[in-house]
Amino acid sequence: MTAERIAIVGVGQTVHKSKRTDVNTAELCAEAVEAALADAKLTMKDIDCVILGSFEPADGYSGPDKWIVPEIGAVGKAGFEMQNVGTTGGVVCATGFNMAASGLFQNVLCVAWQKMDEAAGAFGRGGGGANEYWTGQFPMSPITNFARRTYDYMTRSKCTEEHLAMVRVKQNQCALRNKHAQLKLPDLTVEKVMNDTLLAWPIRRLHMCPTTAGSAAIIICPEKRAKKVTNKPVWVEDWFTCHQGGALTMAEDPQASTLGYACRKIYKRCGITDPKKQINAWEVYEPASTAELRWIEEVGLAEDYKAWKLFEEGKVGIEKEIPFNPSGGVTATNPIGCTPVVRVVEASLQVRGDAEEHQVPGTINRALATAYGGQGENVVFLLKKTL
Amino acid sequence: MLKKEEPLDPVVAFRYPRVITYKHSLGYQSKFAHALKMGRIIATKCPIDGRCTVPPRIVCPMHHVRQTEWVDQGQRGKLITAFKINFPMFDSRTGELKFWQNPIVAIELEGGARMDGWCAETDTSKLKEGMLLEAVWRPPEERQGRADDILYWKPV
Repeated sequence: MTAERIAIVGVGQTVHKSKRTDVNTAELCAEAVEAALADAKLTMKDIDCVILGSFEPADGYSGPDKWIVPEIGAVGKAGFEMQNVGTTGGVVCATGFNMAASGLFQNVLCVAWQKMDEAAGAFGRGGGGANEYWTGQFPMSPITNFARRTYDYMTRSKCTEEHLAMVRVKQNQCALRNKHAQLKLPDLTVEKVMNDTLLAWPIRRLHMCPTTAGSAAIIICPEKRAKKVTNKPVWVEDWFTCHQGGALTMAEDPQASTLGYACRKIYKRCGITDPKKQINAWEVYEPASTAELRWIEEVGLAEDYKAWKLFEEGKVGIEKEIPFNPSGGVTATNPIGCTPVVRVVEASLQVRGDAEEHQVPGTINRALATAYGGQGENVVFLLKKTL
Repeated sequence: MLKKEEPLDPVVAFRYPRVITYKHSLGYQSKFAHALKMGRIIATKCPIDGRCTVPPRIVCPMHHVRQTEWVDQGQRGKLITAFKINFPMFDSRTGELKFWQNPIVAIELEGGARMDGWCAETDTSKLKEGMLLEAVWRPPEERQGRADDILYWKPV
């Protein structure tokens, strides 16, 4: 039995905001589901499998699928809930792709959400992911995770705080052009970033992703069905889930991440020898602006510890040599467990040419999207315009 | 100042404070916790490449083989990274929001394993990569087999 070739036929997301007290969690999901169904010109009757998930501790709901499946009108459909901290949306998509590729389902709906305005404190719980007994005893969170990563990156690369600020300014310039993005700062400068509140050196408040209430959804079909549903399918060329968890804690290697490993795996399988030429848009989950430097290197766009030079030379941006996170990325919008689905939605829009104000110029033959979570777990997706 | 909780309109939202006590079994890590109570840091060693890991792991995550050898890691180590938290952050053991005065450091121990700890030196400008640090323990009667049995790491 061989896997079916699959395509994303519909995408949807809410406008992301710091607070959505006007809706409950299920209603928030319904907004994204309705948008994805409308985009694919399908109804819930067409859907035969639903995969959904959020980072449960950051919501406070246990087994939320029991509530949300009926509220989005999906009772009786096959499927299940996924859970994997910030990577949740990544495993939601990967599982949805697996279900469609199995040939058992014709219209698979993936939906993820996070309503961080309801339990912002839970986000700071952190720590326990790698080893509850040990790392759970330290006040670890994404902020401290990236403080340590960035401290080590600066030591190895010799880049300065100014370079870190340049990354943040670039991300904001992209976010200003994205109608769905949450954090848009019209007058942000390198100086303002460098003078912002220090959280844990060298991480300043503006370097970190915000807390977000938002949801996103995609619909996936096997090849034959996809061609009937849409004339703009986004083909899913490959995907790879790579977990790290307690295998490498931050104390062991401050640069520990599975992103490079996952990319090398996918590039080999898909014949990618020159990522800069063969991949035309990038939506890479960077929880802190400073992570973008290392991620650019890990995906193969720069030599190790040299990515900061690209920002010094002004080579990263929507119309630049390296269109990295044209949506503004995660430092603009972070409904944490849902964020990877937002990355896949944004990468799909780039491939279709539908990203409007933040569309990367030219034909986007391939786009790469990723999920990130814990202390370095990744899911990588390679999307393609044509088979 | 820590922010006070905002008042809620009960018709629009509800507040649900949950207090749950978890009791997690330590399993093979009990040996490590017991050593901490005795003022020792011990690590498991991979039989393939000799890498030592703290906290211990029953299986080497990279080579997928059982780790049966335990190695004493000594009382000193070299500083790898250090950072100080400048904002109130949750103590994930208790849920308490509090300020943390001591920097968190990553240390490479004499025995080769790497681990996290708190540092006695609160001025991070005085902390340099590679500098030697020494463990300062709680009195034996106060130790509970946890990370904070080591009060902090002191520059030598």
